[in-house]
Amino acid sequence: MKKENSMKKSLLGAKASRRLSNGIIYFILVVMTVVWLFPFVGILLESFKTETKMQTGYLFPKEFGFDHYVRLFTETDFLIWFKNTAIMGIATALLQTIFVLAMSYTLSRLRFKGRKALMNFMLILGMFPGFLTMILIYKVFSDAGLTMNMAPLGLIIVYCASSGMGYYVSKGFFDTIPKSLDEAARVDGATRWQVFYKVIMPLSKPIIIYTILMGFMAPWGDFMMASYIVHENSAGMSVAVGMYEWLSRTNMNTHYTMFCAAGVIVAIPVTTVFLLLQKYYVEGVTGGAVKG
Amino acid sequence: MKMSKILALMLVLVMVFSCFVACKKEDDNNNEDNENALAGTYNITMWVSEKEGVADQFKAQIDAFELANPGIVINAEIEGVTEADAGSKVVADVASAPDIYCFAQDQLARLVQASALLAPGKAASENIKANNDAGSVAAASVAGTLYAYPMTSDNGYYLYYDTSIISNPDSLEDIIAACEQNGKKFRFALENAWYTASFFFATGCTSNWLMNEAGEFIGIEDNFNSPEGLVAMKGMKKLAQSSCYDSDADQFTDAGAIVTGIWNAGAAAEHFGTNLGAADLPSFTVDGQSYHLGSYSGNKLMGVKPQGDAKKAAVLSLLAQYLTGEECQKQRFASFEWGPSNKNAQASEAVQANASLAALAAQNEYATPQGQIGGAWWDIAKVLGADAKNAADDAALQTALDNYDTSIASWLEIPPEKRYAWTVIGSVGGTGWGVDFTMTEEPAGTWTSVEINMTAGEAFKVRQGLSWDNNYGQDGVKGGADIVVETSGTYKVQLVFGENDSVTITLIPVA
Amino acid sequence: MKKLNDLEYLKLNKLQALWYKLQLFIFAIPGWFKRLGLKIWNLIKSFGLGVKDETLDIAHTFTKGNWAVKLSFLIFGFGNLYYGQILRGIFFLLFEVIFIVYMILPSGGGYWLGKCNWFQKGATIGTVQGKFEYDYVYDTDVWVAGDDSVKVLLYGLLTVIFIVAFIWTWRLQVKQCRICMDITAKGKKVKSGKDDLKSLLDDQFHKTLLALPLVGILAFTVLPIIFMVLIAFTSYDAAHDGYSNLFSWVGLEHFNELFNFGQGGLGLAFGEILSWTLMWSFFATFSNYFLGMFVAIMINKKGIKIKKFWRTILVMTIAIPQFVSLLYVSKLFTTSGLIGSALNKIPAIYNYLDVNNFVSLWDSPVVSKILLIVINIWVGIPYIMLMATGILMNIPQDLYESSKIDGASSVQQFTKITLPYMLFVTGPYLLTSFVGNLNNFNVIYLLSGGNPIKGTAGGASIGYTDLLITWLFKMTLGSTESKYYMASLIGILVFIVVAVLSLIVYNVIPSTKNEEDYK
Repeated sequence: MKKENSMKKSLLGAKASRRLSNGIIYFILVVMTVVWLFPFVGILLESFKTETKMQTGYLFPKEFGFDHYVRLFTETDFLIWFKNTAIMGIATALLQTIFVLAMSYTLSRLRFKGRKALMNFMLILGMFPGFLTMILIYKVFSDAGLTMNMAPLGLIIVYCASSGMGYYVSKGFFDTIPKSLDEAARVDGATRWQVFYKVIMPLSKPIIIYTILMGFMAPWGDFMMASYIVHENSAGMSVAVGMYEWLSRTNMNTHYTMFCAAGVIVAIPVTTVFLLLQKYYVEGVTGGAVKG
Repeated sequence: MKMSKILALMLVLVMVFSCFVACKKEDDNNNEDNENALAGTYNITMWVSEKEGVADQFKAQIDAFELANPGIVINAEIEGVTEADAGSKVVADVASAPDIYCFAQDQLARLVQASALLAPGKAASENIKANNDAGSVAAASVAGTLYAYPMTSDNGYYLYYDTSIISNPDSLEDIIAACEQNGKKFRFALENAWYTASFFFATGCTSNWLMNEAGEFIGIEDNFNSPEGLVAMKGMKKLAQSSCYDSDADQFTDAGAIVTGIWNAGAAAEHFGTNLGAADLPSFTVDGQSYHLGSYSGNKLMGVKPQGDAKKAAVLSLLAQYLTGEECQKQRFASFEWGPSNKNAQASEAVQANASLAALAAQNEYATPQGQIGGAWWDIAKVLGADAKNAADDAALQTALDNYDTSIASWLEIPPEKRYAWTVIGSVGGTGWGVDFTMTEEPAGTWTSVEINMTAGEAFKVRQGLSWDNNYGQDGVKGGADIVVETSGTYKVQLVFGENDSVTITLIPVA
Repeated sequence: MKKLNDLEYLKLNKLQALWYKLQLFIFAIPGWFKRLGLKIWNLIKSFGLGVKDETLDIAHTFTKGNWAVKLSFLIFGFGNLYYGQILRGIFFLLFEVIFIVYMILPSGGGYWLGKCNWFQKGATIGTVQGKFEYDYVYDTDVWVAGDDSVKVLLYGLLTVIFIVAFIWTWRLQVKQCRICMDITAKGKKVKSGKDDLKSLLDDQFHKTLLALPLVGILAFTVLPIIFMVLIAFTSYDAAHDGYSNLFSWVGLEHFNELFNFGQGGLGLAFGEILSWTLMWSFFATFSNYFLGMFVAIMINKKGIKIKKFWRTILVMTIAIPQFVSLLYVSKLFTTSGLIGSALNKIPAIYNYLDVNNFVSLWDSPVVSKILLIVINIWVGIPYIMLMATGILMNIPQDLYESSKIDGASSVQQFTKITLPYMLFVTGPYLLTSFVGNLNNFNVIYLLSGGNPIKGTAGGASIGYTDLLITWLFKMTLGSTESKYYMASLIGILVFIVVAVLSLIVYNVIPSTKNEEDYK
């Protein structure tokens, strides 16, 4: 009886304290929302300023205008860069998915000699500063004509070729699918290919979409490799490389706000795709991260 | 089917593919029969300033060139690349560099060393030397040979200021005080060696690089670490530790005064509006003595990439001469305020009347022509600006100068006389290729080493300047195989440079 | 030290228990190294034994084999063809033909190998130096191209790899011939080409799946790494770029330069940058990890509404390219930027900057380091948050229920249930993200660019916030010196340090040991 009472009391107290702690959490979340959104709002507002100079001293435009957006499409190669990046994004998304899925599926669900050694090997490879390898790759590509205006093709190859090394998340996802499924199918006489194709793949929609999403986003953000491979050829640039040129000494004061406008436009497709597929992203990454 | 097979097959495919690529490339250089003079169609690539509109103007100028030279058709692909970086990007991959590119003069030596510049022919050189100001010709030359085409003579810096708050732009102290009072910034990029040097030049310091005919730096005559240098550091400290100082001179926010160049003329006009003032740099006072700030004056140059085809090389040279000629320089001045290097263009009225160029001209009296500078110097010297800002006292300023000296010494490492001297290096005397044995020259062209104990089977070579760039091996072959000792004993190694560049290396037994 | 049994351990108070655990940990360290050493020794031993076995087996095959097997020592795949494995036989034969043709072609393998002057100190890579010749007709110099050292070295290396592959294939097909012979001798049928193809989708399915990714990794990661390792022994830099000026082998000369610990020497700079890199990586990884987890727990808490909204807001930062957002953020913190100018008005900060003569927040080595870590939290939290959300959902709820009945507070729940669980399942992720942060180019390059400047090393200026990766970048692509050889040397060293560290950690983490446990 006494116990019941105290429980009731603590329940009441708990309710109050929960309300308090929820209040604190809401407060923190709201503050975080502001902090996280601030740069985006800032960039958006910057892009509507009519002046071209870099004026980070104030947030709101003194005068709203779409000048930079108009200039972007009429006076610069932005459309070409955008197209290049979009092509790269789509191609990388598709090819990289094949590479990553093949690698992670094999490592997760098939057992063969040297599997553990292979995983250790790739872990070690990943520790070598990646861009040093670019020095050679650039030379080879330059010989094969895959630089300059053909840079998008070269970059697709670069992004995809070694992508098998990033198998961790999707391997983690496959690890969470019960092994008994495979075994049952094998008992029924299915080949390993059939198990892969007919049993596991249909269950793997989240991780496939996650991989596609990551592949699609990579070319939009990559700067170092892209600028190296393209070797200053405007026709082959991605948005990141092209826009970065606007921040050079001579361009900074005439292009800064345009840079922000371009940033807004670049953010649109990526954010849209991302928000649309967010559900799968979360499922993929959470399934995967469990076994990282 | 084994994994290995797939792998092997892939490897083969890669090999075959690369082999084809390698073979194909070699056929590219077929010369065509030349008809009359230089007529023909040429596909060329160009890098020009990334500034908006520059590429378009170059296109129009190339069209004009075609009109002036009937029969020559040029299909030009023009990219905007900032002149400050063009050189290092060309050097990174000379083979696929553009046929014509524009660069800032400080990169000339590096480009010559990398054989990335095709020197103008004899007639063209005469023409260029006659029509451009002496400074720009010197800037485009290495050891007396002209390597590039001068394009501008305006790569310098001076002062833009707000006339409404600064009444005396001649004194650094007054400008600082005015800016502090009005809560404005004095923007001066002291952490960029190009600007850092300003204070040192003011006190009479110099920094000259020594270079050989191949464009290699072999030494430096530099007196930044001196009493005068310390005065410069004190002056710099005065500015850098002021609350109005900002080292970002590429933006104008809150600027009351800014030290920048002609490329920001437009932005300056927009920022200061009617209060725009342009003048030569101010003077600063240390210990009662006043020093007028110096500066670098420099040029932008146009370069032509070495060609395998003589005819195309000739056309490119002709085109580069045209594009850096009087008419084109005038057009560029009209559109972008680029100060011409061409003497006739300089004399034109419009150029004479330009306020920014007038300020630049005034500053030029105190300017040091920017000769050839070792690339690492920029990184070494800019640290001085940061040091002046962080220095707590004068002792720290002296330490900064000492560090500067050490950094330069460690970059150069080898003193010039050692760069010229030959040495013997090898496994001889049990040294395992770790020791250079001294050789002395007597008479000229004959180098003899110190006595070395050698055992049969040990090997050695001779090399110059403690580096493997120049070395001789068996039978006096450059970069040849190691010379192997046949009979044990004590020897002197003798290196003789004979006629027709023949080289003989002999072992002289010591009794 | 004395090992305690369970009963004794339980008697210890909390502090003693902690101390005991710490001791256990420290005393275990020599054991790890011993085990590591043993592992390496075993590896070497088994390699030696393997070579011995192989040699014996080859000799055995040759003496015991029939004429077809003997002939396949010379003609690849002959044995396979003889025993009816047409597909395999043709593949092997084709490989041999291609190899021989490639090696004897005028610009084939032999040609490239000859030009490499492998490791002869002072000898150039490539033999023909390009040069200018004067053309009198057009009054201009003409460039007569020579060898390109980079290309020569690359084709030389490829040829070496090809030769290794050739020897391996030779061994493989000899072995297969013998197996065929043995099988036939037993009166069974050998696998036909059709069987081979079929097994690719079944027993050998892993080979099918791995073929493409592995070829990609070999060609675009392994090969370039081997190449860069070779570069460390050459004079490859801007002055010897291979095309205009051939570069040459220099032996171990660059190691001296690297291990110069004097003022302005590379050794000192290397040590300083490495220590900040490790520090950065540590803080960046764990600050993100714990804060991200904390945010996930907050959002996941019962009673918090519009969970999806909060997550979406955070996740948006992933979607927007870093080079846009980070560049904008870095400008915000400059003196004239929105946040920078606001912060400068706070007396404490203002005084700090004033006393030290710093103009902007980015000028102070300490503050800029803190800023980087803080902004990196802004970048990294969303990733961790998403991941932690999933993991939290996976923790069996009855654990919490029962702990609650036992009177555990929410703090205890976190330290006793949530944290251990998280650490267990995300151990490998922590490691990869630590390594990822070591090489986190974007955040440093776009935010601080390595500034404030400290000095020069390796022909490039370095700053207080430079990571090894940004230093390597400045040294190669960002400077006119372009010391490729030094970059590759440092790359190798970093690689060795990190690889050894991680292998130790990786083999200690429980979740990788018991890979099969969690399913």
